[in-house]
Amino acid sequence: MSRLGPVYTLAVGAVLTVALGVASAQASPAVEQATATPIETASTAPPVAEEEAPTPEETAPPEEAAPADTTPKKVDYAGVVQGNGGLVAISIRNGKAVAYFCDGHIEAWLKGTAENNTVTLEGKDALITASLGGGKAQGRVEFKGKSWRFSAAVVKKPSGLYRATAQVRGARIVGGWIKLPSGQSVGRLTIGESGAGEAAAAFEGGVVTWYGIPLTPQEPDAFIDTINP
Amino acid sequence: MSHTQQYSTPRRGSAVVLLVVPALVGGAIATALGVYGELHPPTGFAVGPGGFTGPLAMKAWLTTGAALLAILQVLTAMAMWGKLPFEGAWVEPTHRWSGRIAFLLTVPVAFHCLYAVGARYDEPRVMIHSILGCLFYGIFATKMLALPKRGVPGWTLPVLGGLLFTLLVGLWLTSSFWFFTTIGVQF
Repeated sequence: MSRLGPVYTLAVGAVLTVALGVASAQASPAVEQATATPIETASTAPPVAEEEAPTPEETAPPEEAAPADTTPKKVDYAGVVQGNGGLVAISIRNGKAVAYFCDGHIEAWLKGTAENNTVTLEGKDALITASLGGGKAQGRVEFKGKSWRFSAAVVKKPSGLYRATAQVRGARIVGGWIKLPSGQSVGRLTIGESGAGEAAAAFEGGVVTWYGIPLTPQEPDAFIDTINP
Repeated sequence: MSHTQQYSTPRRGSAVVLLVVPALVGGAIATALGVYGELHPPTGFAVGPGGFTGPLAMKAWLTTGAALLAILQVLTAMAMWGKLPFEGAWVEPTHRWSGRIAFLLTVPVAFHCLYAVGARYDEPRVMIHSILGCLFYGIFATKMLALPKRGVPGWTLPVLGGLLFTLLVGLWLTSSFWFFTTIGVQF
């Protein structure tokens, strides 16, 4: 015992590590855990989950007045990313665009421009391109060398994209959330620049508290000019 | 028996040779952890002990627990080496088991760090933490492998144990202390 004890100690540590690895690899993405009501076809059917989008009343393009460019001036899209369990949200305000891609574990903030009914956004290790029309943004998310298709329908408050920031004793905290009309929601909170963070619980308006720190999720109008991914 | 005795009182040079394999294994473990932390794409999520608000708090408190046990480690080690005015049959088991528990407390923490976050070098605190963390497990493995060997140099265990304590305090300062002073003392 006394001579092999230290080796046993190392072995128990190794076994614990492997057990954590197996459990983590099998754990389902947070976005699925957070789904309160099952989405009809979200994860299985390749076609788009949002079917209500083409409803005439919520198509944004008609209010466009510019001579040639029919890109919506103010519109919010949100939908499911096909094949990775994450959500994506894109908001456009007068040619500027901001997007957030998140599955609770990985996330990316992107910013870019919208013109000629096309939106292109860039972030750290992330790229989103989409064409706008028919009440949808359809395109691709590229993140760290992987690529997924998505189709995001026009959404109205309280669905859409939210972001909260706070500065606490020298560390910057950023929270991001996407809410879909179906009730599905995803979010993530990070602190510092190292990417340390946690999946965020869904919220129903108002202040979110994280380890006692108050955070106020804001709509894209509040942060589209200041975001710097 | 005469065979082992022949090697149990070696000259100084051959005593150090006994540490070559433990040191190489420890170095390989530290290197492997660093390479894994660099190459593995962070998942942002890892399974770990529950009961805390979130994984950041879990890591801050488990590391604090390990650091407190590490203080007990130093005290019991000093007693075992006759540097403190107390002794007893409880000292050695206490040293052994507090060390084991401290080590096991750090495993879910390091797992979350490497699996969910990865080694990072873009922020001084995180860079120092990444490097100390890799070194810690390399030195720990070296010490565990050196412990059963008879005839290692007398300085082996004090030096390795002292290094481990120093590294763990550095790890605690760059993680738990930062968490408690930045976010607050939260569970």
